[in-house]
Parts: sequence; C-alpha cells; structure tokens
Amino acid sequence: MSSLRAARQERVFDAMDAAGLDVLVLGRRDSIAYATGHQSLWTAGTRPFGAACVLVGATGRSTHLLSTWDAGVPPEIPFDHLYGVTWNPAVMGAALRGIPGLPEARRIGVDALSPGFARAAARLAPDAELVPADDVLRDVRTVKLPVELEGIRAATAIAGLGFAAAVETLEQGSGPANALAAAHRAMASRGATVPSSAPLVRRVGSLMQLDFGVLLGGYEGGLGRTTHLGLAGGKAVPSQDDPADPSVEAQKHLLAACRPGATGRVLRAAVRPPSRWMVRGSGVGFEPPVITHTVGADAVIENGMVLSVEVEVDGWHRRDLVHIGEPL
Amino acid sequence: MGADLRDLLAKHREPSTAIDVRRLHRERHAKLQAEMARQGVDVALLLHAPNVAYATGQPVRGIDVTHAIYERPVAIVVTGEDRPHLLWDDAGSGPGLDVERHPSVWPELDEGAVLLAGVLADVAGSRDRIAVDEITGAMQRAGVLSDASMLEATQVIGPAKLAKTADELGCIAEAQRRNEAAMVATQAMVRPGVRRSEVAGEFLAQLVPHGVEANLIDPIFQPMPRSIADGPRTTTGDVAFPTGVGDPVLAERDLVWVDTGVDHLGYASDFGRTWIVGRDPDPGQQRLFERWCAVMVAVLDGLGPGVSGGELCRAATAANGDRRPWLPHFYLAHGLGVESAEMPLIGTDLGPEFDDNLVLAPGMVLVLEPVIWEDGVGGYRAEEIIAVTEDGWRHLGSGHAYPPFTS
Repeated sequence: MSSLRAARQERVFDAMDAAGLDVLVLGRRDSIAYATGHQSLWTAGTRPFGAACVLVGATGRSTHLLSTWDAGVPPEIPFDHLYGVTWNPAVMGAALRGIPGLPEARRIGVDALSPGFARAAARLAPDAELVPADDVLRDVRTVKLPVELEGIRAATAIAGLGFAAAVETLEQGSGPANALAAAHRAMASRGATVPSSAPLVRRVGSLMQLDFGVLLGGYEGGLGRTTHLGLAGGKAVPSQDDPADPSVEAQKHLLAACRPGATGRVLRAAVRPPSRWMVRGSGVGFEPPVITHTVGADAVIENGMVLSVEVEVDGWHRRDLVHIGEPL
Repeated sequence: MGADLRDLLAKHREPSTAIDVRRLHRERHAKLQAEMARQGVDVALLLHAPNVAYATGQPVRGIDVTHAIYERPVAIVVTGEDRPHLLWDDAGSGPGLDVERHPSVWPELDEGAVLLAGVLADVAGSRDRIAVDEITGAMQRAGVLSDASMLEATQVIGPAKLAKTADELGCIAEAQRRNEAAMVATQAMVRPGVRRSEVAGEFLAQLVPHGVEANLIDPIFQPMPRSIADGPRTTTGDVAFPTGVGDPVLAERDLVWVDTGVDHLGYASDFGRTWIVGRDPDPGQQRLFERWCAVMVAVLDGLGPGVSGGELCRAATAANGDRRPWLPHFYLAHGLGVESAEMPLIGTDLGPEFDDNLVLAPGMVLVLEPVIWEDGVGGYRAEEIIAVTEDGWRHLGSGHAYPPFTS
C-alpha cells in the first residue's frame, strides 16, 4: 500500500476508535479520497448525500466502496468490497446489509446526512445511533503529513504555471478571455484538468485580478495575484514588482499573524484595511479553519496546518498558500 | 441508417429561441410552490447547488465540492410566499434574482448552523413540515431540524422540474450548442501521442470564447478496450465507463468515448460521441455506428407523449438483435435539467415495471445514450438530447455530426 494512503487510513480508523464509531459512512468525494485513496470521476459542486463509502472499524478495519469498476480503487481494497452504482434503493439496501459489521453497528458516523439516508440507516442498523462525524474527519486532516505537503506544493506549482501563462497572454495585449484559456491549456498540460476554486481573470479598472486554484493528485494548490495594466498599450506588469501594489503590505501583516495559537480574533486585528480577506485551511480542497470578518473568531491556527491566505486592497487581490511551521 | 438518423434529427430540430430569465425564474417558483402546497409541505430548505439554482436562480459554479459546501448559497422556500429566500452574500450572483436576500450562513460550520437556525426561525416560524436535501454535521449538532417532520427535497423538486418550461428547454439547448461548438477544435487536436489531459485542457480553453462559465465534469476522453476482458473488472461484468481515472496517452486506432457537460444559466449539457485516434473507422467500427443509428431511429420513431419507457427499451433492444443496447449500470435514457442526470430514468435497475409505468409527457427531456458493444471490435456510444412535445419530440442541440463516422 502506498505510504500516504496507509498513513491517512490509519489516521481515520484511529479517529473512529477515539470517537467510539463502529462504522463511518461517507458521501463526499474528498472524505472518501482521503480515507481510502479512491480515485473517481470529478464532478463540479455538491452531490446529494449517499453511502458511497463504508468504513467498518469494529470488525478489523475494512473498507467498502460504491464503485462499479476496480479502476481507481486502491489494490488493498478487495474486489468483493465494491458495490456498484444503482438507482434502486432496494439494491443499495441489500448491498449495505451485506457489509459485515454494518447491521450490528451501535454507533454510525456520517460526513453529512439526508432524510432518506437517516430512514434507511434505521432499517439497516436498527440498534445504531447515527452521529455527525464530519468533525472527526476534519480534525484528522488538519495537520498535514510531509507527503501531503509535497502534493500541495506540486499543485501550487501548477497554479503558478497557469498564472504565468495568463500573464504572458495579457502582456501580449490579449484580453482576459484569452488569458484564461491560456491558463487552462498550461495547467492541463501538466495533468491538472479540474479546478478547486473558480479560476479568476477579472478586470477591475486598470487592474487585472488573477487567481487559480487546482486539484492535482487530490491536493489543492493555489495562487492569487493582481497585475497592473500600464496605461501605455495596456500591457500587464507583474505585480510582485509593482511598488504601487498595496496588497503586499496587507498580506505581510496577515501572514505574520498566522502563527500557531492565534485565533480568528487575532487575525481580524491584524488586517490592515483590505476590503476583503479570508484565511482558511487547504489540503484535499477547502478545509477549516475558516476565518473572515464574520465567522471564525474563535478558530485557532495550529502548527502543521496549510492555510490559504487572501486579501484584497483597492482592487489588488493576493492569495498565498502557507504552511504553518515552515515555508511551503 | 446514419443518414436516416441525421435527417430525422434535422427534421425535429428545435430552433434557437430567446430565453426570458425572469419568466424562467417566475415559472419555476410557481411550479415549486404548487408542488409544495399539493404535498402539504410548509418549507423547503435547500443546500444542494442545483436545487438552490432551481429555487432561486443562483448560478451553479464549476468548483470542487469542498469549496461548494463551505462557501454555500442556501435557499429557503416558504409555501405561499411570492419570492424565495437566498442566504448568500451578493458576491458575483448578479442583481437580477428576484429573491429575499440574507447574509451567507456557512452551514458547514457550527457557528454557521446556528446562524441558519436563526434565519429559518425568522422566515419560516414554527411551520414544521420541511423538505430538505442535506443536513450537515453542524446542522445535526445544532439541532437545526430536530423538531421538524422532514422529507427529501427531491419529493417536491422532482415533480416540479420533471416537465420543463420553454425557457428551460432553451437553456438546455443553448448549453448543448455551446458544448458542441467547443468540441470542434477539441477534436481537431486528437492525434496519436496526445494525452487525455491536453485534450481536456483544449476543451476547457474552447469553452471560454463560447461564453461557458462553468464546466460540470472532468472532461472524459476515455480510450476503450476492444474486449470487456481487457478493461477494468466490473461488478456487472460489462464495460467500465466513465472511470475518470488516469491520464492515458491516446494511441492510433484507439476508440475514445467522449463525455462532457457544461452549464448554461443553471442547465446542463450532455455531449457524448465516439472518436477514433488518427484513423477512419474500419468496417467493424462502422458497423457498430450503423447499428447505434438504427437503435436511435427505432427509439425516436413514434416517440411522444403517452409512450412508456418500457416501450422505448423494447424498441431499442429489438433494433439491436434482441440484445440490450445500453450499459447495465446506467440507462437507455436519462432526464437532464439542473442536474446532469435526473428523472425520467429509463432502462435502469429499477426494472421493467418501473419503465412501463413511466409515461412520457410534454416537457420531459431525454438524453438517449445507447451503447453498441461487440466484444473484440469495441463499442460505439453517443448521446442526443430530445424534448417531448405535445405532438412528438424536438431535438435540442446544433446537429453536431459524428466524425470520423459518416452516414
């Protein structure tokens, strides 16, 4: 088994034990990818909750996946632990009933819930208490493993390539649409064909805001910068070198405040008057903590987290991924 | 047979029509309200992005699920009210929505679930029969719906959206036309040695000038094995598609199954074709295509209101020499709208009785996606979207051809 998969899986099963969960039912793609290493087709946005993965802790740690094929399924998961895509609740019910340890479970965690699954679970495991376990997974994911940092660095490098391709296109005098298309081509040429956040190439007055967030190998990378379109010819000037960019100073203050133990309140106090800002976790996508001027006052920055830190001052947007504890 | 299908689709093509977005929103709201009243539902609490889009017009975004659940617009629809409530800070959502606005509530966070409970109490009071699509862990911990009698939101949204309005059909047709237009240049770069990701990147780049803001699925360009035994192992013993795994290098002669979906004003497209890398089809492959066309013609012949899903399945199977011409884990046809696959589903493992009881009605949309498989030769798969009308059906899309297959 790959060491990353093994390490993540052990974290999840240990956390299930600590939370007293016999079974963990996962519906979200990111939860499943983290807990099992399952690679599946990426689709945008939310999906209705369904039992797409069942982890049974009580009977010797087994993993069961909703998948019609073994492509993308890690080799340590036996083929007979797969249950195929179905449109028939009776077929799904039978598949879940056949998972050893599920019908006898006393405490089942879920990463989200729907009314339909709540009723189905009451039939499948009549003695079980159904409890939210999104926080269990969240805690497991918070502090990054060294291999995870490599994944985040690689994805961030791809976002950087997208940024560079977009800037080059702007410098040649093209507009934002061509710049965005160039970024898509550049990032895809390195295997990154799905976004994490929405790509941004947006003109704000004489500024061009750029932000790229991508998923590569399941990890999120990202970068946000703003270029100034010089008055002569509309050519873009990389903002890193632009002394007029006020987001540099604002970002410096915010980053300096992102220390282990700092709360959201501390971060709010460190914000030097940007019009918009956000500090949030990053890893297998968007993660807690989430700190803005409206939420996250009591959230605490921990050593080992990766944070996406963004500010916007007078239209100058800037976003960096940083690792708390050492440079990313 | 290919020419027959081409002529048939052309004869039934829906002309491009102007979309009235305000009317679209108004008619959807009325349908949802009527369905809620009919079922005695007091409130719909919606978190799933396509449901929020349906209820409020708030656009869906082409972003990862992790972003979609944290930075999440929420809709609350109260029976008898003129407008839906949208819990979402204004950023990017445009001024055109006829909604009652509230600040974002962050239902994934514990403090956010408390905010949501507050708004829900304010706008819905003590009414207690609530349709809901997702309950986050934070909502469970905060007991947001603990006193309510809950039902699945699909029970009210499903019937409301089953028959599309003229504007909804216009959105689907436009999404499909843009998707098809982006495919022309994309297919041109398919050659031996190119990676799947490069083709996907070209497709994403091509969407930009066609005004597509959200891509809904990692674009699928999957080289298929010639024999089932050479592909991934499946629980059905049939073909594995779409796996969405890996980044294969396309080789000369590869049969590549293509599947993409993009958004237009909240409505999905669904593009399906089979391409061959660097070659024209050989006689065996052409035969598969001809049979696919024959199945399509058989299904479309006589399709209209009153026809059952079971009849379509039987017509398709008969035209394929009494073998079922679709993937057993999918369907012969699926609906399309704010979701890339929604009711009506025809030919699923819900079984023949379900299909027989499913009777087509005007406004229903079907994506027909027969698959012709001949083990050792490979398979042909493509998709076409049709809408059931009062007097038959209309084809939604531009009439994209099937290159390199010719009719």
